[in-house]
Amino acid sequence: MRRNSAFWLQCLLGLGLLALLLLVFRTTQANLELLGVQSGFDFLSRKAGFSIAQHLIPYSEDSPIRTALGVAILNTLLLAVFCIALASILGLLVGVGRLSSNWLVSRLSLAYLELFRNVPVLLQIFFWYYVALRALPSFQSSLFITDYLVLNNRGLYFPFIEFSGGLSISPPAMGRFSYEGGFYLMPEFLALWVGLSLYNASYISEIVRSGFESVPRGQLEAGAALGLRRRAVLRRVAFPQALRAILPPLATVYMNMFKATSLAAAIAYPEIVSVFVGTVNNLVGRPVEVMAVTLAFYAGVSFLVAWLMGRWNERVMRRGQ
Amino acid sequence: MLQLRRNWHGLATGAAAIGALLVIAPVKAQADTLSEVLERGMLRCAVIEASPGFSSIDANGRRYGFDIDNCRTVAAAVLGDADAIEYVPINPNTAFTTLQSGGVDVFPGGATWTFLRDASLGLDYTGVYLYAGQGFVVRRASGVSRIADLEGATVCVAQGTTNEQNLADYFRARRMKYSIVTFADVERGLNAYLSDRCDAFTTEIFSLAGRVVALRNPGEHVILGEVISREPFSGLVRQGDPRWRDIVFWAFNSRLAAEEFGLTAANVADVRAMTEDAEIRRFLGVEGGFGEKLGLRGDWAYQIVVQVGNYGEVFARHFEPLGLQRGLNALWSEGGLMIAMPYR
Repeated sequence: MRRNSAFWLQCLLGLGLLALLLLVFRTTQANLELLGVQSGFDFLSRKAGFSIAQHLIPYSEDSPIRTALGVAILNTLLLAVFCIALASILGLLVGVGRLSSNWLVSRLSLAYLELFRNVPVLLQIFFWYYVALRALPSFQSSLFITDYLVLNNRGLYFPFIEFSGGLSISPPAMGRFSYEGGFYLMPEFLALWVGLSLYNASYISEIVRSGFESVPRGQLEAGAALGLRRRAVLRRVAFPQALRAILPPLATVYMNMFKATSLAAAIAYPEIVSVFVGTVNNLVGRPVEVMAVTLAFYAGVSFLVAWLMGRWNERVMRRGQ
Repeated sequence: MLQLRRNWHGLATGAAAIGALLVIAPVKAQADTLSEVLERGMLRCAVIEASPGFSSIDANGRRYGFDIDNCRTVAAAVLGDADAIEYVPINPNTAFTTLQSGGVDVFPGGATWTFLRDASLGLDYTGVYLYAGQGFVVRRASGVSRIADLEGATVCVAQGTTNEQNLADYFRARRMKYSIVTFADVERGLNAYLSDRCDAFTTEIFSLAGRVVALRNPGEHVILGEVISREPFSGLVRQGDPRWRDIVFWAFNSRLAAEEFGLTAANVADVRAMTEDAEIRRFLGVEGGFGEKLGLRGDWAYQIVVQVGNYGEVFARHFEPLGLQRGLNALWSEGGLMIAMPYR
């Protein structure tokens, strides 16, 4: 009976909340109308009319804004995936390095942690950006990694790949101002990749270290007593148990890293905040709609990451039993 | 019981929150910006900061520039005091939203008058006060002398302007290849150009000139002689307040009329005392009661000329030091596009 009334109260509160959201929505709509501001999502099929430096799918100024949004989302995800991969590898190395019995390795790992964890990530990104622009060779003295891969301060150029009646690959061609390739990565991407990865690797290293330290010493000694080699003890005994402590906080870091890709807007990498909240919003003047789409994207992907990590965690926990 | 009480507690909190949020009321249908400004005794004017020539801060911490004088023109007309202004710093990305939501009374800071903005943003333009165009700066050493030479070049550009689309339209119409790097503001875009990230930087020609003059080695850069767009700059106010729009329009018009009449900040007091010219007498509020028809004081236009100056004086003050000519912004009688609507 008591639980029943609590349930109905919850329902009432939920309904109230829903009504409130509806009210906010209606009031916003009415106010925009009174102000003579046009609203709605029809702008998504309008012709974009602006260019985007880096696009993973075919895009031109004639494409609809919808496609520009797709380009921006893919650029965001590309950056996030690259950062998560690099930060995970670095974080694992540094975290294990902290536990090393080698004095130099453990001190260097500690220095890395203190250096990168204590400086705001936005400053690190600016630093790497200006370093990248200065350190990368100019067009005239471009660096050829192979004949098919050219690096200069305008970016990393990949070969043209065409599928017209069979595969044909031709190297980036030299123009008056720079190379032209089939696809290229901007210096902004490289700076963000390095900046975000180094910063987040410092957090991941702490998670890895604490994960390994949470494994009781007796477990390792037992492994050694069974005659396992040190490497086998680490892989078969320590790592599976450490993983259970590592995964939940790691999910948080991954989500933070994904959201931090929005800092890219500060240095002209065309991800969703730069393209959509910046250029498109200015073009169509619909801040409410533009922000709603952007927020939905971030919330959706974060939720997905959380869910996937949760599933992985469940599997790991089950295996341990 | 405890469970129930806790729930009642939550319900009460929820109800209170809902009650508090119920004050989200619809906006007033008919805005009356003039009364609000008079009551406040201050004009809220949106400015974009750190744009040499348009808006900067001098050694004494005073705001200075063409946009600032635009704000001062409206304040002089409405409040009789060109300094009764609360400046609201904005960036181009937030300008329209700030104006729509009522954060400022007027934005006279370099917004290009375009069809879509006028038709869909819920804002009204108040008349062109400067004719500009989008230009390019390149490194002298690059040997680029015309826009056509930029085929295949990388161009840095700032968001929140018409520049991105102009660039795309121009290069595509001529089937020229280009890469674009889009920055959140002019400052960062120009910095990237200076770091050799781009071969050219593009923005509207007046602010481009102001920024290039301020560079460490202005001689190493060239502003190309061509422009790729028409950028008529107009003041902006919220839609739905026709009287306020009229006031801002006529305030700007007064500077042009003053130049046409030969009135300057220095001589306007003498002319007012002596002139027999009927239009000038109406303009300066000696006869006709024109100010009152706008809901302003009789000496509204006189205050503009005394405190801010005529259009030519304002232009000369801010743009001549940057080496910019009047060009399209000369009076119609001198071959330009600027014409003052008559005071009759």
